[in-house]
Amino acid sequence: MNIERIKNELAQAWTVAVKDVRVYYLRPGMIMFGFAMPFFMFFSFSVQREMGAAEGVARLLAMTVFFTAGAAGPFIIPTERRIGTYDRLLAAPMSLMTLLLGKTAVGTIFAVAVSGVALLAGLLFFGTTILQPGLLAAGILLGAFSFSTLGLVFGSMPTTNPGDVQMPSTLLRWGLLFISGVFIPLGEMAPAARAIAYLSPLTYAQDVMNHAVLGKGLINPWLDLAVLALSGALFLWPSIKMHQRARVLGR
Amino acid sequence: MNNAIEVENLTKYYDKFLAVDHVNFTVKQGEIFGFLGPNGAGKTTTQRMLTTLLTPTEGRILINGHDLARDSYPAKQQIGLVPEESNVYTELTAWDNLMFTASIYRVPRGERAKRAQELLETFGLWEKRAIKAENFSKGMRRRLSIAMAIIHKPSLLFLDEPTPGLDTQSIRAIWKLIRSMNAEGTTVFVTTHQIEEANQLCDRVAIISHGKIAAIDTPERLKANFRRAQSVEVAFEGEMAEKSPGLESMPGVTTQVKVGDKLRLYTDDPSALLPRIVQYAESHALRIVSLNTLGPSLEDVFLEITGGQVGIVTNEIQENNPRRKGMGGRK
Repeated sequence: MNIERIKNELAQAWTVAVKDVRVYYLRPGMIMFGFAMPFFMFFSFSVQREMGAAEGVARLLAMTVFFTAGAAGPFIIPTERRIGTYDRLLAAPMSLMTLLLGKTAVGTIFAVAVSGVALLAGLLFFGTTILQPGLLAAGILLGAFSFSTLGLVFGSMPTTNPGDVQMPSTLLRWGLLFISGVFIPLGEMAPAARAIAYLSPLTYAQDVMNHAVLGKGLINPWLDLAVLALSGALFLWPSIKMHQRARVLGR
Repeated sequence: MNNAIEVENLTKYYDKFLAVDHVNFTVKQGEIFGFLGPNGAGKTTTQRMLTTLLTPTEGRILINGHDLARDSYPAKQQIGLVPEESNVYTELTAWDNLMFTASIYRVPRGERAKRAQELLETFGLWEKRAIKAENFSKGMRRRLSIAMAIIHKPSLLFLDEPTPGLDTQSIRAIWKLIRSMNAEGTTVFVTTHQIEEANQLCDRVAIISHGKIAAIDTPERLKANFRRAQSVEVAFEGEMAEKSPGLESMPGVTTQVKVGDKLRLYTDDPSALLPRIVQYAESHALRIVSLNTLGPSLEDVFLEITGGQVGIVTNEIQENNPRRKGMGGRK
């Protein structure tokens, strides 16, 4: 692939992302699953529990990045398949990877923006201090990337009905929420539970938020970031395979 | 002349269902090629394979010489696709829809606005460029969808059922545009089940039935091969149906069909039948209002090939017959 082609593909991915931001960010599905859900979940499970403000902010940030980034893929792609606009993208002269990167960027940008709101709320209302802002920014960005591509896996299922995708996607996310050290800190988990927690990318996102906000975590923060980046890249593979499958099935 | 499309042995199975069955055809550059068939015949499946949206089970597709299975990128750059559903972004304005497509197809930045304006003016949408497409009528969305498909000036344009449900004005405008693009060198591949559309637009037509190409030729040559679908159409003054018994049993008449206030008599030899009808009218004291010989229409050919039988078509279908509208087919 020559330089000109790479430049074109990057520009196309950005075009797809900007279009999706304009078309879908204010749609009820995105607001419900991407914006409202993390805040509802946070208040549902955090109110009346003994928890410091900084700990609460670290938890809220991890949940916001997790829910918001993963909301875009399962909503946007099946919606576009249903109304036929996805064909326009698939027929355009760009690689499938470019299209998927564009879609990943949509969830990533959404998550970065909404977690910015959560961070602002933490700073203003809870007086929280961020100990490692650089690490926090990297954690939010890479966490958003990882969870966005995870959402894309569900969005890539060959269906035209967003409901078919959102149900299993929400189920998985809720499951991950309870095994990833968000509500029960990793250090307080039984060894077996902790072993399972290490399989979830959310564990690493929560840990990196703990490092950035609380100044402490159980895992090396560089490992946290590396796992988030690597899992994000790995989640693209099943998405590509499912898109190829959809082309065979004609969906 | 080079081929814009070459299809060899193209086959598509959906699980065990054979949708397209080892199809072979070529489309020459600069041609308007009609892909005609009844619903479920395999038209859209074929077109989706030609536009990379569907992976063939078997076979090879070359678009302007590029093998889609090996490297679809250069082929995609040269293709414009207008799908059956007008897939515009309803939340965006007409202008933004065009700008988005221009950017995706990497139209040079300096040319995007100029081309968008030209297209919006051509399609009568310039005044509505700042209105979101959700407020557009079906015809306006269709026109916008076509404009989006051609903003990068494709050398090969695919249209899937471009006109169903549109008013006559919109249909004529789209036909005019297709002809105009073709005159400028664009190859056009039209998938349709509207026979009149194929008859009016296409240089050549392929008729697909049950996943196989049943016939492929120019509309006129296809019609010429169906001599038995020739007919004589006669209208008598007054209550013709009640006053013309025995016409059906007249020598040379294979089938008689009532078409509105006329009778259509299918025959192998219209010139021999004409004097018999005149003689019949004289002997029954009937006044002939009109008497025409008709060649086989593309509709007759289509029905014959796809399993419908000439002569038992309904009046509703006959209403769409091009020859009744004075648009061709009359000898």
